[in-house]
Amino acid sequence: MWEKVYSGFGYWDVYLWLLFFAIASAVVLFIRSKGRSDYKEGTEQDEIFYGSNIVPEDGGDIAVPAASAYWGFVEALKPYYNWLIELHTGIASEYVGYFMLTLAVVAVLVLL
Amino acid sequence: MNWQMHLPALALAVPLLGAFLSLVVGLGGRYLRNAWMVCVSIATTAICIMLLQRVLAGGTMVYVMGAESWNFTLPSGLSWPIRIIIQVDAFSAFMAATSSIAALAGAFFSLRFMDKFTGLEKFSALYFLLVTGMLGMQITGDLFNFFVFLEIASVASFGLIAFWRDRPEAVEASFKYMVVSTVSAMFVLIAVGFLYGRYNAVNIAAVARMLHMGYAEKIALVFLVVSLAMKSGAVPMHMWTPDAYAEAPAGVTCLLVAVSQASLYGLFRVCFTLYGVTAGSVVIPWTIIIMGVLSMFIGVTMAVIQKEMKRLMAYHSVSQIGYILLALGVGLLSLKDPQAMADYGFTAMKGGIFHILNYTMYKGLLFLSAGAVFYSAGTRDLNELGGLARNMPQTTFMFVIAAAAIAGLPPFNGFVSKLLIYQTTFAVYPLLAVAALVTSVLTLASFVKVFQTAFLGPARKTFEKVVEVPASMLLGMAVLTLVIVVLTLFPGWTLSHLVEPAAKALIDQSGYISAVMGGGL
Repeated sequence: MWEKVYSGFGYWDVYLWLLFFAIASAVVLFIRSKGRSDYKEGTEQDEIFYGSNIVPEDGGDIAVPAASAYWGFVEALKPYYNWLIELHTGIASEYVGYFMLTLAVVAVLVLL
Repeated sequence: MNWQMHLPALALAVPLLGAFLSLVVGLGGRYLRNAWMVCVSIATTAICIMLLQRVLAGGTMVYVMGAESWNFTLPSGLSWPIRIIIQVDAFSAFMAATSSIAALAGAFFSLRFMDKFTGLEKFSALYFLLVTGMLGMQITGDLFNFFVFLEIASVASFGLIAFWRDRPEAVEASFKYMVVSTVSAMFVLIAVGFLYGRYNAVNIAAVARMLHMGYAEKIALVFLVVSLAMKSGAVPMHMWTPDAYAEAPAGVTCLLVAVSQASLYGLFRVCFTLYGVTAGSVVIPWTIIIMGVLSMFIGVTMAVIQKEMKRLMAYHSVSQIGYILLALGVGLLSLKDPQAMADYGFTAMKGGIFHILNYTMYKGLLFLSAGAVFYSAGTRDLNELGGLARNMPQTTFMFVIAAAAIAGLPPFNGFVSKLLIYQTTFAVYPLLAVAALVTSVLTLASFVKVFQTAFLGPARKTFEKVVEVPASMLLGMAVLTLVIVVLTLFPGWTLSHLVEPAAKALIDQSGYISAVMGGGL
């Protein structure tokens, strides 16, 4: 029930990791407990710092949209993504075409 | 006779009865229909788990429909395997139990999720028909019946994917899936026809015993491998998955994940049991490995750029199928070499089979959490979502567990199966392990994106009134969360008591054959 997992190249012991997380959590909570608790709620002391600008009321105005996530990664791989998106046309006859093409290629390789 | 002898038949009869009676029970109103759906789902899951328990304790179960022996003997003494046989070894039982848990979670989730739909008695009927087809594929001992169950599952899937009838996208997704699925099913039928023509039998054990490689057998092998790889969503035949998974109701998508595993089951049953070492060359193992690597990488890179929650998750399904194909492809590659099998092949197979279980659980949970977000917030567009952790804390908690598991973060179960896959594929060719690792990093990146954009961030006015989903939907997610936590805490027990017997059964071709045929034929 509690045994380690051996892969033939090493092992995995989940309980050691859980012990590590417990210790790490205790350390984090200890450091947090050393923080200041004498700030005044509802004053400018607990306001969000937004580059000295007024924080918009609707969170939607300051959120980073998903479309902007990993922009650099996608930009760097643009030729790959252009090719990949071109493949995904959404046309059913092309789906069948890819299936038939794969079938033909594997058949040739196996029969040769 | 002990009633447990009939467990293999009950695993099919109960959901089939559930499907047909749904139409009658549905006349009694919503509560009766929901109670029926819950009862049939629980009964089916209980039967599949008992079946697994019995097979692990007593070995392969062979159930002959309508007769006592597998063969039919003529007065002349000629004996031939013509009966309808259900054959459940540890691998089949493992798959059936895994799939039935996903079906149970999907059923719980659908009780309230489907409230806004009409014709729900038809939904229940199609749902259980899909469960029947899926379980039938996993426990049948007969090639033609495998095709029949594949078709039952496919036809039920078409109806369920298009169940949101007033959404043109749903109907379009169903149509596309129907076209490719029907073409591939025809190739499965042609392959079965080739083998029947050669050996006058469709019983898997009987054909496996007689099989020797010729042109007809090679063509049948190619047709079966490529068709079933397409049905499981492997690259480059994966394009139906984002459409179908995204448009199906969330509970159905959870079940479709399990159904794709039934196709993978068929693929590996054909490769390991029907052909085994007879397949000869390394072309098929390497084809499966290459499909696996392409699925991992193309699936995850497409996922990174998605902006729609379920579509992103659907591309991750393609990627996760790649891990399973890679691992079991390595197992197949080492099938002829006992030393390679002992060194890394068997461990790769354990990693792959454990990943099937893990994938079904966390991917099912991810789709359900996406469904929960849609149910409460009314959109799946990640550009519009944000700050939902405040409104939906339980859904957020379960999403985080599933996301951490799929990304392979230690100590979650996904990490364990991926670790076995990394280490063993490295032994075959280091670049395979590199591809798997890069895929895992990108998986983490895209789920960080989902978590950050949908659940974290400042509260949005649009979602001020959003509340947590109803209890039955939470229960559906909780079932899968519980399984993930158990698999995370007891990976050693899971591997030695569930996964290893399944892997041994898969490579034991002679054991599968002799369980049915004995010394016959």
